[in-house]
Amino acid sequence: MLKKLLKYDLKWTYKLLVIFYALALIFSCITRLCSLVDNSALFSVLKSISAGFAIAMMVNAIINCIMRSWVRFTKNMYKDESYLTHTLPVSKNKLYLSKVLSAVICMVTSIVVVIACLFICYYSKENISILKNMLELAAGTYDTTVIKLLLVLFFVLLLEMIFIILVGYVGIIIGHKSNQNRMSKSVVMGVILYILTQMVTLLLIVIFGLFNKSVMNIVNTKDIINIDAIKLVLFAGIFIYVVYIVIYYIAGKKLLEKGVNVD
Amino acid sequence: MTILECKKLCKNYDEKVALKDVNLEVKSGKIIGLLGKNGSGKTTLIKLINDLLTPTSGKVLVEGSAPGINSKEVISYLPERTYFSSEMKVIDTIKYFEDFYKNFNKEKAFKLLKDLDLDINMKISKMSKGMREKLQLILVMSRDAKLYILDEPLGGVDPATRDYILDTILSNFCEGASVIISTHLISDIERILDEVIFIDNGEVKLHETTDDLREKENASIDEIFRRMFKC
Repeated sequence: MLKKLLKYDLKWTYKLLVIFYALALIFSCITRLCSLVDNSALFSVLKSISAGFAIAMMVNAIINCIMRSWVRFTKNMYKDESYLTHTLPVSKNKLYLSKVLSAVICMVTSIVVVIACLFICYYSKENISILKNMLELAAGTYDTTVIKLLLVLFFVLLLEMIFIILVGYVGIIIGHKSNQNRMSKSVVMGVILYILTQMVTLLLIVIFGLFNKSVMNIVNTKDIINIDAIKLVLFAGIFIYVVYIVIYYIAGKKLLEKGVNVD
Repeated sequence: MTILECKKLCKNYDEKVALKDVNLEVKSGKIIGLLGKNGSGKTTLIKLINDLLTPTSGKVLVEGSAPGINSKEVISYLPERTYFSSEMKVIDTIKYFEDFYKNFNKEKAFKLLKDLDLDINMKISKMSKGMREKLQLILVMSRDAKLYILDEPLGGVDPATRDYILDTILSNFCEGASVIISTHLISDIERILDEVIFIDNGEVKLHETTDDLREKENASIDEIFRRMFKC
């Protein structure tokens, strides 16, 4: 059943996203083609315009992925469609898992498309060389390889996005427990949860800093930050976000299992 | 055999009481009219049975168990709203039901659609409200369920369509299954009912067989209802 749910959720979310993916790729290709023509003012202007559109479409692909995940969740779980969703012989847990998985899959696709578009737009031997040097420098500072560094950055970005989506889901679930002004309460709850969680993160860093002077320096000095402290905070951050994601997933699941009140 | 039981079922929306201590028992093989004025609590009761609302207190039991996966296999529910995405085609809705309901009879659905002369490639957004309601009814009645719950199936449709809907219900529900029809258009459906449940202000006022009630009051169900709930 999860596969079937996932099929319908992905179909709905991708319906619009593929348009942004296609536009981002088209404008990236145009940018690329324009950059192949040397010394032409017209193509230079055209390149700037298409690069602008490509970037806009890439941003749209990420933002729309988050927004559409929330819209799908609200429509499917609480609006007219919910009359069908909640009468399917499927557990609430599976319904929720399908929404989370579809959001994660779409987010991975969006990030991959953005990376591909950036590659198409700006690939050149010089750019790759500059990027490589920068990454090697950063990787060397972190005492790791470029591949590992890229994977960590991709992972951090993905975790942050999944975290945002899950906070939204829990906000929607709590907001819809109420009998009035459900949408506005959902938005407010989502924002409150996000801010609270970030404050908890800050608090955890401060507590961590009490036991590690170099970490505390990040918070209370303007001195050059020790790279070991940043490394430590980065990995602690990944761990904390994984914990948050698990907590928000379980919270959403438990709240849904207690029952819904559809519109 | 009891297919549905409600025990001391209550539902409040903040201060407002929507259902109050509802006790109900529905046996298999009956067609039951859930009758009441607008806002009397019919839809709230139906939503509670279908796990679309959480009770404030009390219990709903379908075949002895709380609403869940099993109850959803057993109940075929027609809500008063259109629940399909307008971008879907008729054929997509058939596939959807086929994907999720083991007891969905695709052939029956196609036959009913053919009778209605409905193009399976038609988009829902191109269909009229009445057509959408008929499509949902066809899908719901094409399931081999043990309990059919139809919320206002006659609401907002012309008398000719009402006949079509009633005929579809009567000729397509599974043998031995029960049907609960919620409506305030009593005269249209009273001929097919075995039992009636009168509901008002969130309370069940009466639950009796139609034959007994007619005999006792010497009047039609419609007349009894009008007398009982006269404003």
